[in-house]
Amino acid sequence: MRLFVVSTLWIMSCMWMCGLAHAQELLPADKPINEVIDHYIGAEHNRLSIPVAPLADDYLLVRRTTLDLIGRIPTTKELLDFVNSEDANKREVLVDRLMASKEYREHQADTLNMVLANGRNENLRPFLLDAIEKNVGWSEIFRQLVVGDMIDGTKQEAGDFVKSRVSDTDALTNETSVLFFGVNISCAKCHDHPLVTEWTQAHFYGMKSFFSRTFDNGGFIAEREYGAIEYKTTSGEAKNAELMFLSGTVMSEPEWTKPTDEEAKAEKAQLEQLKKDKKKVPRPQFSRREQLVDVALKEEKAYFSKAMVNRTWFRFVGRGFVMPLDQMHPENTPTHPELLDWLARDTRDNGYDLSRLIRGIVLSDAYARDSRWDSQEKRPDSMWFSVGNVRILSPLQYASSMKIGARNPVDFAGDDAEVVTKNIENTRQQAKGFSSKIEIPGDDFQVSVGEALLFSNNVDFENTFLRDGAGDLVGAMIRNESNEAAVDMAAMAIFNRQLEDDERKAMLAFLETRSENRADAIKHLVWAMLASGEVRFNY
Amino acid sequence: MARSRKSFFCGSAEHDMSRRNFLGSSVAAAGIGSSVGAFRSDLMAEQLKRNDKRVILLWLAGGASQMETWDPKEGVETSGPFRKIQTSTPGVAISELLPKMAGRLKDTAIIRSLNTAIGDHGNDAKLMHLGRQNEPNLSYPDMGSVLARELGRLDSSVPDYVTFYTATEGRGNAVGRPGFLGSRYAPMFLTNGNSPDNISRLESVNELDHKERAELRDLLSRGFSRGRVSSQLGSHNVAYGRVRGLMASEKLFDIEQEPQKVRDKYGKSLFGQQALIARRLIEAGTPFVKVSRAWWDSHGQNFETHLELVTELDHVMTTLLDDLEERGLLENTLVITLGEFGRTPTINGSLGRDHFARAWSASLSGCGVQGGSVFGETTEDGQHVKDGEIGAAELFATIYKAVGVDPHKEYHVGVRPVPLTDPGTKSVDQVLS
Repeated sequence: MRLFVVSTLWIMSCMWMCGLAHAQELLPADKPINEVIDHYIGAEHNRLSIPVAPLADDYLLVRRTTLDLIGRIPTTKELLDFVNSEDANKREVLVDRLMASKEYREHQADTLNMVLANGRNENLRPFLLDAIEKNVGWSEIFRQLVVGDMIDGTKQEAGDFVKSRVSDTDALTNETSVLFFGVNISCAKCHDHPLVTEWTQAHFYGMKSFFSRTFDNGGFIAEREYGAIEYKTTSGEAKNAELMFLSGTVMSEPEWTKPTDEEAKAEKAQLEQLKKDKKKVPRPQFSRREQLVDVALKEEKAYFSKAMVNRTWFRFVGRGFVMPLDQMHPENTPTHPELLDWLARDTRDNGYDLSRLIRGIVLSDAYARDSRWDSQEKRPDSMWFSVGNVRILSPLQYASSMKIGARNPVDFAGDDAEVVTKNIENTRQQAKGFSSKIEIPGDDFQVSVGEALLFSNNVDFENTFLRDGAGDLVGAMIRNESNEAAVDMAAMAIFNRQLEDDERKAMLAFLETRSENRADAIKHLVWAMLASGEVRFNY
Repeated sequence: MARSRKSFFCGSAEHDMSRRNFLGSSVAAAGIGSSVGAFRSDLMAEQLKRNDKRVILLWLAGGASQMETWDPKEGVETSGPFRKIQTSTPGVAISELLPKMAGRLKDTAIIRSLNTAIGDHGNDAKLMHLGRQNEPNLSYPDMGSVLARELGRLDSSVPDYVTFYTATEGRGNAVGRPGFLGSRYAPMFLTNGNSPDNISRLESVNELDHKERAELRDLLSRGFSRGRVSSQLGSHNVAYGRVRGLMASEKLFDIEQEPQKVRDKYGKSLFGQQALIARRLIEAGTPFVKVSRAWWDSHGQNFETHLELVTELDHVMTTLLDDLEERGLLENTLVITLGEFGRTPTINGSLGRDHFARAWSASLSGCGVQGGSVFGETTEDGQHVKDGEIGAAELFATIYKAVGVDPHKEYHVGVRPVPLTDPGTKSVDQVLS
């Protein structure tokens, strides 16, 4: 019986890893991505009678989509243009307009940089922006990050990914696995993984072997032709690590010998000279890091493409098909395996084009569900994607959105598109300083009281968002004599929506009790709006 | 052996967690933002017992010499110029640089057998903050964040984790961090003067407006939160809910509020002033305060450095313990002295002592501690631990236990159970009352 269970599990695991579980049943490859998403997600709703939230209204939808695609809220004009449009295809028009913009490319670069830096102080942004502008696929981005500037023509900044981690090969190994393969193998460093039978210490040290010859030589990443890892098993047995990928595939490599003392001395001298001359170390004939990229892409069905899809889905929908994102293993099955398989196949067949996947996701109904659950029925679990999720903004998204909202809406509403674009660009630029004061959200992020104190008492907040000049929202509200009109103006600019009656009433009352100092009152009102929960999240 | 213990946080056999359990809980626990919660529900009695427990950590940044503090040697090549003196506890001697502490050892336990192996500022400071090796992909909280969570109140109007670190040397190493517990338990990190950032109202906003705009913010946020679920959204509202209370605690950071007599006792040194603020915070309900004193890293002129710093420590520590005792706070307040490591018994050519993590000391005073006790012993030359070797994990377990926190309590990060200290860790019960 035990044997039967084990072998069944093993077969299932293999099927999952090879992406075969549902291959024969997958929808055709030429179906639009958004339709495929809604097909599979809707099928589960029907099968399990899961209640579904209505689609978000136009106001909410344009806010959500704009925040996700270009990293800021829409201006009042962009908002109303969308809401008032009668074009049946207006969602597609919106998405395509946003994705064609410079702001889209910059936001992609900022977001990927934040994810890849993983809290480290490294700057991959120039490399990423260049790659995104050239529409380079994720597989190629992966190759350049791992192999770095050993490949001719790769931007030097790509090397930062390895360089900033090279002093800690365990971290380099594990973060590469987490970010590109969706698996955290750090447990297997000290013992075979207790839950995932596939991952043994041999896998951890196998993966580590791909990086074990890599070192920093005066700021340049270099790799030796020789060297291997020895490790001790939990029972104390000493073993030599093989060059083994997560899947168990062992890469063959040319014979190597340890350098003699003399050779080692000569090598050291050569490296010192290169350091002095600020020159790259010549690439090795055989690079273990290149082998990693090759095997990972050759066996991409098991990890690479699924991890990319899962992470992207998480980013736009707020929950992955597999959670946590770094636990994509056979014992932790996806909520929608067919959909994950289909998207992974689509992405592979289309050059790992991230933008194609993103466009498909944001056009789906699953992406567009309202995040408010008003029904008497119990709120369904987020794993069914039948209600929208509330997602925390990145520091740049947050500060840019507040700054856009805090500017006089007229500056974004002129007929001259060039002027408007320039104004938006400048406004975003002005938000950067403040964004650096906001914490980058990690896995278990909670808003700190430090942030609330910063908003409540820091003079930079006042100076950045509450000025009352002609170009500022506060100034525009002060010059508008009607409290009603001023409040509605702020609601459109900051909340991107019309106010509920009770909100309007409270806001008007706030202004009326301070009529002797209306200008200050308006400042406080705008503060209360900017600091409210609504502005902190994409919802 | 303590230093080579591996972390089994990911649920190996030691964890007594079946695969079935794992699979069963993964769906429920895998919501947005993995839930961090107590795996084992604590008994109400334990909750009550530890309700008002507090901790002050005197962080001796750079590494104080055990030979010139808690574990002096005499008559060996490595002794140095200072002698040992007998203390109020018969049979226990400490360095003559601690004469005041020698007279009031009745509340203090000394641990002389730490072996933490590394000997590098960055890694050892991290180790002595986390109580375990750093892991690449799981961000552990430090002692302060753990205790802020365990001993603090969610709606507390005083800060629950305050760190003073005014010097620049070593500041980057001694970072407190909430890790997977989330920013709610991040320290207020004071590097500039004695008062936290953004704690006082801008002059441009009057008191009434400050209060009422916050109320308007709450009203708008409540409306937004209706029908929406997210732990991050919850934390946003909690954070703003604490602002006014924390601002009211501003005066806790102001020693001018203390009678001149008390201020004189602590003295004019920054370390003394910050220890006094620590006492004020503790008294007002702050569960964890760390006061850092830098820079003990005496590779040269070890004896001059220690003459100055240990003398100051002796004065500040005894004043603090006396003050806590007079106010009836000492039985509920644990005062710790600890750094990233000790210093070599061998004296180098610059009359300095270098990094040494193989056999060094720490002290625990007050809450839950067996006063006058000594745990562990080093060899005559101080080069090795002779008896009672412990590592960071055992020290942390002891500290947790002293303030009524179960060292084996487990948090859940997503589906992974993470115990407060690594499995199998034993507290040093010999120094606990």
